[in-house]
Amino acid sequence: MIVLDPNGEKVNLMALNVGPTHPATHHCVRLLAALDGETIVAGVHEIGFMHRGFEKMVERGTWQQVIPYTDRLNYCSAMMNNIAFCRAVENMYGIEIPERTKVLRVIVNELSRINDHFICVAAAFQDLGGTTPFMYAFNPREEIMLIWEKLTGARLTNSFARIGGLYRDSYDGFEDDVLAACKSVEKALKDLHACLDRNRIFLDRTVGVGKISAERAISYGWTGPCLRATGVESDLRKDEPYYDYETYDWEVVVGTQGDANDRLQVRLAEIEESVKIVRQALKRLAPGPVDIVDPRIRVPAHKLAYQDMEALIGRFKSVYEGIRVPEGEYYCASECANGELGFTIVSDGSGHPYRIKVRSPSFAHVSAFNELVEGLTLADSMATLPGLNMIAGELDR
Amino acid sequence: MESVIDILESKFGAKRDEKAKWDACVVVPKEYLHNAVEFLKNDPSMQFDMLLDLAGIDYLTYPNHEGPRFAISYAFKCTKKPGSRVRLKVLVSEADLKVPTITDLYASANWLEREVYDQYGLVFTGHPDLRRILNHVEFVGHPLRKDYPAQKRQWLSTTDFLIPELEKRLEDKGYRIVQRSKEIMPVEEEYLEGSIRE
Repeated sequence: MIVLDPNGEKVNLMALNVGPTHPATHHCVRLLAALDGETIVAGVHEIGFMHRGFEKMVERGTWQQVIPYTDRLNYCSAMMNNIAFCRAVENMYGIEIPERTKVLRVIVNELSRINDHFICVAAAFQDLGGTTPFMYAFNPREEIMLIWEKLTGARLTNSFARIGGLYRDSYDGFEDDVLAACKSVEKALKDLHACLDRNRIFLDRTVGVGKISAERAISYGWTGPCLRATGVESDLRKDEPYYDYETYDWEVVVGTQGDANDRLQVRLAEIEESVKIVRQALKRLAPGPVDIVDPRIRVPAHKLAYQDMEALIGRFKSVYEGIRVPEGEYYCASECANGELGFTIVSDGSGHPYRIKVRSPSFAHVSAFNELVEGLTLADSMATLPGLNMIAGELDR
Repeated sequence: MESVIDILESKFGAKRDEKAKWDACVVVPKEYLHNAVEFLKNDPSMQFDMLLDLAGIDYLTYPNHEGPRFAISYAFKCTKKPGSRVRLKVLVSEADLKVPTITDLYASANWLEREVYDQYGLVFTGHPDLRRILNHVEFVGHPLRKDYPAQKRQWLSTTDFLIPELEKRLEDKGYRIVQRSKEIMPVEEEYLEGSIRE
């Protein structure tokens, strides 16, 4: 199209579709860019290619049946989502979960965060043409995946948390596996830093690219590592602590520039902090029950159902009717790998959720995407996107 | 948190939401919504600088519900004061689906309001670009309303054209469109011939 630019000069712009399925968009997002040569002068983007009606589907099932759906939100750190959801419902019940469950949830949370951040950084480097860091990051990730396999039976969309407890206790040798994973994570971090920190090509491509100011990021509702990269010290684990996060010794990582490089470096530094938390949590892991004892909330153990009448009734009722969450409305947020994952829950006191609205961090991040890339070259826009760690599962729900 | 609720109650005729038992939430009359949000954002004692979420609610099948059918819950937080959050709620009746926009105050409101419009059909007056966001352009109806059957299927065939939005974005940036390129002009008939729609 031919346009007059703000100075009144005639320019011939090309409208180019990037995506929906483009290798560098990772998932499905479409950017329609008006290009002047190689520079994006204006862009509009479209989402919703993976919209599958999460919020409509969950209204049809019971409260427990929501949990596997939440795994599909941010599938790079699936268990964090169902821990966040279970926490929201537990708060509505006003119940306190056992100490062992808290610690196990912290370990699972932090290992998931490590996984998620590794994927983000590795994929970002892959998009810029570097395949080696991808392998460095995926070795420890595989170790964590093997822990997930042993723990839950699944690799990707694994669900572990249950309302009022956990799917099951950890297996024998869990602590040793986690410790070994921590070691290889630290080794991989060293390798990654050696690859990225002083890499001329990488720095040229990412420093000062896709910059956003702290005020603008806050206005766009950015949370998590992306907001912290702009220098805002905001982390729900410190600000509104849950699961005793405030008693662990760790730091909130902040960046300074808010550019693509900062967003990746903040993630790498957060992995380091997460390893610290995991190591401390392992020391606190004492034997004990993982489920609360209340058949109205947490189903009685399977083996009890063969011997105990009450347990049989409890299992039957909680499967067929579902647990009855107290009537009311509530917004509860947890710090997930990408930022603040919130659930606005409306309960009418029946066995089915009346309405669950997911506040997904990716939605806020991606809404700023066209503003971030305007003025950049097309190639730089693809260096910006992976740093936002867009996950279509939680973006489109 | 109590002080926030008290101030909103005295200034904007808001009422504490009885349904919210675990967090602070007030119901604000629709006509004062924009003022209340502006106050929350700009007043030095409030500084709720982040709009986190808009959640539409349809009370059609809610047991013993009285009052308007729809509601929107706005979740705010303050990044400067850790842990300070508040929710506002507006009630929207089926007869008047209009709600004032707050896109001039928060950048995140743009997409969030589009989502509520898409899923519930509530119209935000003054929104710069009120289109569907998660559902397809050809989609008919608003899927999260309680009277929309979950199993219903729709035939969707075209792509979202987006060129008008791109041109608007260019114009917002000070460009003026002189000539559109022919290749990208939409021809309705061609789209329809290519699809199997009856």
